[in-house]
Amino acid sequence: MSGLAGFDCFAHPLGEWLKGSGPDSDVVISTRVRLARNVRGFPFTGRASAGQRAEVLRLCQDALHRVHLEKSVITLDLQQLGEIERDILVERHLISRELAGAEGPRGVTFGRGEMLSIMVNEEDHLRLQWIKSGFDPDRAFAAIRRVDAALDKVLPIAFSEQYGYLTACPTNVGTGMRISVMVHLPALTLLDHVEKVFKAAGRMNHAVRGLYGEGTRAFGDMYQISNQATLGRSEEDILASVKAIVPQVLEYERRMRGELYTEKRELVEDKALRALALLRSARRLSVQEMMGHLSMVRLGIDLKVITDVTMDTVNRLFILGQPSHLQAETGATLTPAEREARRAELVRGKLATATN
Amino acid sequence: MDCQCCQKKPAHIRVCDIEANTMSEQFNVCADCWIFIKRYLFDHARPLQPTREVLQEVRQLLSSQEPKALAKLEPPGEITPVPAESLPVCPECGMTLAEFKHKGRFGCARDYEVFAAHLDPLLERIHDVTPPRHRGGRPAPAPGADERVNASRELSGLREQLRAAVAEENYELAARLRDRINELERGNLTPGANP
Ligand SMILES: [Zn+2]
Ligand SMILES: [Zn+2]
Repeated sequence: MSGLAGFDCFAHPLGEWLKGSGPDSDVVISTRVRLARNVRGFPFTGRASAGQRAEVLRLCQDALHRVHLEKSVITLDLQQLGEIERDILVERHLISRELAGAEGPRGVTFGRGEMLSIMVNEEDHLRLQWIKSGFDPDRAFAAIRRVDAALDKVLPIAFSEQYGYLTACPTNVGTGMRISVMVHLPALTLLDHVEKVFKAAGRMNHAVRGLYGEGTRAFGDMYQISNQATLGRSEEDILASVKAIVPQVLEYERRMRGELYTEKRELVEDKALRALALLRSARRLSVQEMMGHLSMVRLGIDLKVITDVTMDTVNRLFILGQPSHLQAETGATLTPAEREARRAELVRGKLATATN
Repeated sequence: MDCQCCQKKPAHIRVCDIEANTMSEQFNVCADCWIFIKRYLFDHARPLQPTREVLQEVRQLLSSQEPKALAKLEPPGEITPVPAESLPVCPECGMTLAEFKHKGRFGCARDYEVFAAHLDPLLERIHDVTPPRHRGGRPAPAPGADERVNASRELSGLREQLRAAVAEENYELAARLRDRINELERGNLTPGANP
């Protein structure tokens, strides 16, 4: 992993936000607050020449080094990374798939705890994000706002009185702020209520989408709820609306879990324990299969049906079992069959060590 | 038709005065003047497209201008006449209204001004708010930050010029460019005239 220049992703623990320790962590994995910013005087990334992109990258990284972000940060030049290394950063939620697949000068700077991440030359020159464990929008916002304010001092930011922070896409203009809450909704999924949540959230200007997989079919029952509107509301307004809407989804999921557990106890116990048994003995696992069963194990932990596996272990397996993490850990290029075998081995190992 | 700016060369480019917000106020200018007008609008932080008044000012400047200052302008390159249905056009990044509508992405921050007359319905729909105006925070003033960006912009221009000078074996110019680049890179961030 020489290309990751000082960042060994296996020696390096996964993001602190995966700990499963934050508020409402029975349902919420993480809360991310993202701010989109552009440097004044340069065209947006999509219209900038290679020379201008290089200049923006240099300017931003120079600015990032001059402000005190965290005790220690890691800066990577994405042009110098291979495809698998870039995918690892995607799987760890440090960069977007778009940035990984883009071309030209671009980079990422992130903190050791992997809560802070700053992408340079994504669709906007700067995408600042902070991820907190559990449902914690206020603290995630406060943290990223500090970074934003520090950068303001050293970089001129494109801003207009009328439209606020100017962004490449009109959907981000204004505050440039997007709050995304990653939620685990196994009960709503099992009981077929997810569609209702999608619609209700949509009516309140929030979008719900599956985190993995296409369309409404979300592998591992993981979803992301985010605010749609960024203009005409202050940052506080956006925080308030997310804090009004997300708890309703959480309550709904909890009510359905309760219903499942009182009315269909045997069914839930059967599903959770079978999933765990399967994960502990499978010799081959596809990523979809792994996520599906992990989802049931996670539900089993919450309902105290499973007591010898921690939330933390399950959360981490969701990431470590992703294709590029497996590939990189093994070092060699794996065939799909080999990858499934390796994934099964990894899962057995992690779930076995969790036993004591 | 002759260029309405220099009144010498044939006009190939039609631009419209969108402050008047009407297609009727159109100017026909030549490619050389168009470059100068864009530059002028940009340097003077003028909003939008040229107005009759701007055209007047540019014409005066052109007649009083030293040839050296004109030579500093970027070469004509791929500037092509803009069809009327694509108007307005961003003087800074060349984004046309048609292209913006097609891509759904702005080319630069200036586009928000250039397309202002067309934006409100779109922003109202996306953000479900009337009027679509910002209500959140703002960047704190950044003393010195602008200078750094200007120096940085100058640097990328100088590097291009250096490449060209070396290619043309104009070593005297290359040496001067290199000195200026070194100066800027050492942190002397005062942007100056190109050598
Ligand atoms: Zn002319
Ligand atoms: Zn533009």
